[in-house]
Amino acid sequence: MKLLTHNMLTSHVKGVTKGYPLLIKATEVKVNEVEFNPEFVSRMIPKLEWSALVQAAEGLGHLHELPAELTPDYEKNEEFLKKAHRVLLEVEVIEGCLQCPESGREFPISRGIPNMLLNEDEV
Amino acid sequence: MPPHKPYAFVTYRSEESAQKAHVHLNGQHMECGENSVTLYLSFVNSVACQAEVCVSLPEGLVLVEDFVSAEEEALLLAAVDWSSTNDDVTAQKALKHRRVKHYGYEFRYDNNNVDKDKPLSAGLPKECMHILERCVRNGHIDIMPDQLTVNQYQSGQGIPPHVDTHSAFEDTILSLSLGAKAVMEFRHPDGRVVPVVLPERSLLVMKGESRYLWSHGITPRKFDMVPACDPQSPAVITSDLSYNSSLTLNKRGTRTSLTFRKIRHAPCCCAFPSACDSQGAPSAPLPSPPSPPSLPRCHADAARLEEEYVHRVYDAIASHFSSTRHSPWPRVCHFLSSLPPGSVLADVGCGNGKYLGINPKVIAVGCDRSSALVQICAERGYQAFVSDALSVPLRTATCDACISIAVIHHFSTQVRRLAAVRELVRLLKPGGRALIYVWALEQEYNQQKSKYLKDYDKEHAENHHIPTDSALEDIKEAGNHSCLGHVSEGNQVPDGKLSVHINRTAFNAQDLLVPWHLKEGKGKKGEKEAGEDGKKTCLAPDTVQDFSSGPQSEPESSPAAVFHRYYHVFQQGELEQLCGQVSGVKVQSSYHDQGNWCVMLEKD
Repeated sequence: MKLLTHNMLTSHVKGVTKGYPLLIKATEVKVNEVEFNPEFVSRMIPKLEWSALVQAAEGLGHLHELPAELTPDYEKNEEFLKKAHRVLLEVEVIEGCLQCPESGREFPISRGIPNMLLNEDEV
Repeated sequence: MPPHKPYAFVTYRSEESAQKAHVHLNGQHMECGENSVTLYLSFVNSVACQAEVCVSLPEGLVLVEDFVSAEEEALLLAAVDWSSTNDDVTAQKALKHRRVKHYGYEFRYDNNNVDKDKPLSAGLPKECMHILERCVRNGHIDIMPDQLTVNQYQSGQGIPPHVDTHSAFEDTILSLSLGAKAVMEFRHPDGRVVPVVLPERSLLVMKGESRYLWSHGITPRKFDMVPACDPQSPAVITSDLSYNSSLTLNKRGTRTSLTFRKIRHAPCCCAFPSACDSQGAPSAPLPSPPSPPSLPRCHADAARLEEEYVHRVYDAIASHFSSTRHSPWPRVCHFLSSLPPGSVLADVGCGNGKYLGINPKVIAVGCDRSSALVQICAERGYQAFVSDALSVPLRTATCDACISIAVIHHFSTQVRRLAAVRELVRLLKPGGRALIYVWALEQEYNQQKSKYLKDYDKEHAENHHIPTDSALEDIKEAGNHSCLGHVSEGNQVPDGKLSVHINRTAFNAQDLLVPWHLKEGKGKKGEKEAGEDGKKTCLAPDTVQDFSSGPQSEPESSPAAVFHRYYHVFQQGELEQLCGQVSGVKVQSSYHDQGNWCVMLEKD
């Protein structure tokens, strides 16, 4: 699970109102090399919850000087985009779980895949 | 009172005590072993009870309670040596079946008969002898039995209904119940069912009609409904409340039955030829026919149906399925390519991720109910997670586009199909678009056969397997094969049963089970997709999933595994109408594409 994906995921346990962002508890994290496309990363930024991304990266120990807030003109800042690219697309949680911040319910991540299935009584 | 649920009715002596009970018990949590339940109590004006006549035991059936003492019971149980059983113990354990052991003669489950020329050397255990002498002395049987079958049932295990083979055994059959109580159900061919409680240490004597015509079986479950107190007729359960009999649940323990029988050497000449294999009946007749699944009537049933006929199947066939799903549909690709760069795209029901990489400029994430298929997405480098399409763990209004390709037709009720559309719409941002594809009932459209049907003709022309005449007959047969009525909006089949579709023929009903023949290793090259088939099936599938369980026989394994997937195929206009019920969204286009009905929605 890349942090880009984590940024989109939310807890959908019944009754939960503050299920986002999910807390990451990782037991195995990998960093891959992914081709850098500055335009693609730049277009991604406005679609994200930036603070949730920073929080997640920090929690994994992969913040690497990613700024806590977006600066204007980030689209042209290649250094910034490279850092964003790394955090969003190269850091991957392979094993661990995602925890709902409100209910505490844990969703396992196995072989890089989060299993978000709820039980009958949680829907 | 919501229908199709079990209820227990309680009467109190006074209104006051009833009210007290309601106050104290309603909403109470209870633990029962590993289960926890919540009690919900409601007052009702009356109880709709079936006015049943007091049911008597089947003709020829006698139950003798306390036939053996507790000491004798312990000795008999100890006398059975399970370690030296000559059945395949590991297979039994794996299948979680009851344990079985034979003495005297081996009972064969492949032909439901006994090898009369090969008696087992050991004979019946000596500990049984004085019990059998007691049976003869008390007039339950005229002759000493020479065959014994011991069955041991754990809680939750049972035996399917069956009649003991006429030609194998003489009339009287004796069954001693040890260790725990259980309910045995007797079924007459005319439909009558009589549940009989078999207490521990009781002897059941089956003669005449109860032995030759009624079937007997034990439903695999962990609890039986039994009379709560000593009623007049101790064994038979009646639901007639006017007799003041009350019911309670009995938790099953481990029950061991010792069934004693006398081997028959001459053909059977009983008065029940319809059930008699010596007089022409098939050797394993069942009073009740096999039952395929029916259309669900509530969410729980629907979820169970989908679990068995969608989710389990996809997980089992994932790699074969994926290998036949390599060509993305052009019009779907067109939709994807038209999305602005940087769009957030959710593919709900992404399968093997076929569409996740089509437009590399969008931020694509997929989800599917099948972890096996999501695994394939991950192997291909796509981002995907496991989830249900009815509850997608993405925040509301965060997607620029969603696609749902060949997904919603797997939901077995209209309510669930509508909920799936609503969920897609929820994910969309204002102005966002969703593309939905579902299988069409009408495979032929504008005189153009879909690829699915075309391949049928092509395969037959190429392979000369069957001359054209009989191919047409097969399609006609498909029409007769189904037990369904005319097709219309919200089609309900007369008896609610789902029929099995014959691959590559026209659909003649909206709710179907579609076979998938699993191939070892990769699928065939150039496998067609809308066809959903790994094998050319032109004749009625004779390796159909077996809905029945044969009497006393283990389930057969078919040489080529066939899976059945549930589909609700859509009629023209049905998908549009479904989407029309969702507020805040408009149908932008609606079309037929290669055997699918398709709709493109835009959120306000």
